[in-house]
Amino acid sequence: MLHPVLIERMLQAALQTGGDFADIFVEDKVSNNLTMLGGTVENALSGRNYGVGIRILKGSFSVYAFTNDFREENLLKVATSAAQAITGTPGNHTIDLRKTTLDNEHVIHLMPNDVTKKQKIEWMRRAHEAGKNYDPIISQTEISYNDYTQNVLIANSDGLFVEDSRTRTRLGIRCIASDGPEKQAGYFAPGAHAGAEFIQDMDIEWYAREAARSAKTMLHAGYAPSGKLPVIIDNAFGGVIFHEACGHGLESTSVAKKASVFADKVGEYVASPLVTAIDDGTIANEFGSSRIDDEGARTRRNVLIENGVLKGYLIDKLGARMMNTESTGSGRKESYKFAPASRMNNTYIAAGDSTPEEIIANTEYALYAKYMGGGSVDPATSEFNFAVNEAYIVRNGKIEEPVKGATLIGTGIETLKNIDMVGNNLSYGQGMCGSVSGSIPVNVGQPMIRVSQMTVGGRKGE
Amino acid sequence: MDVKQFQERLFQEGKELGFTDMEVYYSRSSSTNVSVFKKEIDTYTIKESGGLSFRGVIDGKMCYSFTEKIDENSIKILLEEAKSNAEVLESNEQEELFSGSESYAEVKTYAEELASTSPKELIDAAQLLEQIASEADPRITLVNRVGVSTSEGETMITNTKGLSCHSRYTIASARLQVVSEENGSTTSGYDFAYTTDHFEDLDIPKLAQRAVENALSQLGSASVKSAQYPVILRYDAASDLLATFTSIFSGSAVEKGFSRLAGKLNQQVAGSNITIVDDPLMEGTMGCTSFDAEGMATKKVEVVKNGQLQTFLHNRKTAKKAGVESTGHASKDGYRDSISVAPHNLFIQPGEHSLDEIVSVIDKGLLITDLDGLHSGTSPISGDFSLSCRGFYIEGGKITKPVYQITVSGNMLELLNQVEEIGNDLRFMGRINSPSLRVSSLAISGL
Repeated sequence: MLHPVLIERMLQAALQTGGDFADIFVEDKVSNNLTMLGGTVENALSGRNYGVGIRILKGSFSVYAFTNDFREENLLKVATSAAQAITGTPGNHTIDLRKTTLDNEHVIHLMPNDVTKKQKIEWMRRAHEAGKNYDPIISQTEISYNDYTQNVLIANSDGLFVEDSRTRTRLGIRCIASDGPEKQAGYFAPGAHAGAEFIQDMDIEWYAREAARSAKTMLHAGYAPSGKLPVIIDNAFGGVIFHEACGHGLESTSVAKKASVFADKVGEYVASPLVTAIDDGTIANEFGSSRIDDEGARTRRNVLIENGVLKGYLIDKLGARMMNTESTGSGRKESYKFAPASRMNNTYIAAGDSTPEEIIANTEYALYAKYMGGGSVDPATSEFNFAVNEAYIVRNGKIEEPVKGATLIGTGIETLKNIDMVGNNLSYGQGMCGSVSGSIPVNVGQPMIRVSQMTVGGRKGE
Repeated sequence: MDVKQFQERLFQEGKELGFTDMEVYYSRSSSTNVSVFKKEIDTYTIKESGGLSFRGVIDGKMCYSFTEKIDENSIKILLEEAKSNAEVLESNEQEELFSGSESYAEVKTYAEELASTSPKELIDAAQLLEQIASEADPRITLVNRVGVSTSEGETMITNTKGLSCHSRYTIASARLQVVSEENGSTTSGYDFAYTTDHFEDLDIPKLAQRAVENALSQLGSASVKSAQYPVILRYDAASDLLATFTSIFSGSAVEKGFSRLAGKLNQQVAGSNITIVDDPLMEGTMGCTSFDAEGMATKKVEVVKNGQLQTFLHNRKTAKKAGVESTGHASKDGYRDSISVAPHNLFIQPGEHSLDEIVSVIDKGLLITDLDGLHSGTSPISGDFSLSCRGFYIEGGKITKPVYQITVSGNMLELLNQVEEIGNDLRFMGRINSPSLRVSSLAISGL
């Protein structure tokens, strides 16, 4: 993508004013997006993103610059002008780039570009047909397909020179149920760090019918209750609770500046002893996986909480400098347009002992949150929220009437300590996570869990 | 190869490949951002990026592709990708490129002085911002995410039908987060400011003060009992909520069956006190522009007048489907996107009373100042919302204590019919704005 000799010259230029470390991130990404509305292909968009980012560190100070003008003189100019933001005595940097070769842990069996657009549309049409034909109440479907292959080259003044290729594929299925002016949507968007085989092997019809069923169920559901009550959160995308309540608060971006309630708490109980939580960027072909992070460090399996005790944080290179420790392989970013930051990969609460049936049967009264939407958090106060898209009331050990979605809120440590049952049915869900270094693909995950009390943002008194 | 040469070669080779009409949308921006932490420069970011989007008509179908690489190689890729995209498109509407409006308004969106703001000015401003916030009160324990940035850029649209539009812009902005602590209560306050004209207009001391006030005023927050309360959405919360739901006015959402306002043209859809306007020609606002993403001249449009729905927002494609004229609301989220519909500078017309006056008539109620999770806790399709929020409790016409860990739930379409009072405090903070709104009753969930 860029010649090592030119990269060495860029790194030298970047360090000419006293920086003590510099790295280069080159990205060449081709993407395909297709949208089908009501069974008709409405939009087909493909393109190529191509650019280079240069970062210079001096202690904990960082400079980041990027460009997509690849002329040699421009690249050196950008490196030189970025260096102007640093004042110091230039050290003597001998840069000796050594190529690192990676094992291929995330095998792509069918490159998306080897599949015709016709075939991709055929998959989308199957989703449309299954959703539309589920019930006459389904008034509209919107199916999206996207794939990309992001080739990156990362090199730094420590001599690292490594290339990686990340192919991801995703199918989005939205079904809308309408009755007069009332409308409700049901949505699924499974994705993976995989090629087109992911969609080829998927039970597309199941997802489409499930989206349609969810929309139909919610259309005629009453409002969720208001106030504090026990909540059972189902597996897979239910893991959004941990992602918001805790995950963001463990990122060194906040922790290193002590702008997180989890700062200085390693070794302390921050959750119920039933909770063990892990962030693992190495799981084969999962959406948030990659061989290396966007700083060229190998991704790892990082235990964050073990039996309720905080074990560690998610740390990038800059965080490692500020916290006087090592990177956990968590430096990620959306594209060359962002400086890397500590981020999650595939974050989940590990499986416990209870069966889902036991959890329901042992609950007198609760909101059962079956499918979740996204959420957000302020790490400084740990106040978080996330949306429930499909919910039911549990009474006397039985799942009863459906209720419309509502937002659940709480604060980090308090909520994690209130987890009083953990199921044995761990699975994952996929999402795009937005933060300082852009929007990146992540997995959230958990088995079914029960929280003894959370504030449910419904519209009905109990 | 510069953009002009690139475009000429692209049109030439495209013609040979069978494209009947072609258009290039090019945008470029460069920006500098400085952030400081504990008096030191923390990060310094220089961004320079540009990209080009191509659309063309082949076999009667409009197709798209984009690239960030302006070189020989990309011409072929752009054309072939677009062509292969056309082969799979099934939508049967005939889309046409636009040859241009008769005239375009003159609006000032570029300030030479702002474009040439020096890095030193940015650093000084960021350090001042942090210093004022840090020293404002002993209860401030951390000032974080202090950033000041400037950005300048341009947009160019050229097509084979003779359209040629060009514009430039400048903008500077500053932001910070303040954390305060007292008696075991930790709160954070955030605020930002922008200007498109003079750098000094950022008013750093005032910005710092606002963020500090936002944090301090929340110290000692508690939840409240779940109930229906009269609620005032302060201008910032009201603006955020309105922004989340503006797709209900989009001609594209109507066409897709995603808007509950479909079929309600010329009907009463909001209280008679509600007038909603989109005014792209208002200088100094973020959405100020004289042409839209299809090169059509923009103009002031009344979307809702005294509660009656006057028009949906349209681009040329959605307008044609609806059998009306485009309202000049073609939008493109950068060069990557295909053409959609979005407001430029939409707002609810302000009323006559100050926020204090609106508060004074409430016996027991809530003033909501912050809404969180807007991307997930709202459904533009149903109009429903359930959102984490913060604010103050009002008793006997006065603000008495801060409130947090509560949610507010309702339906946007119902809310627009329940507004009892509209504030005079409209501020142009983003592309969509609202003054403070007093609503008769909303569901609050807390204890």
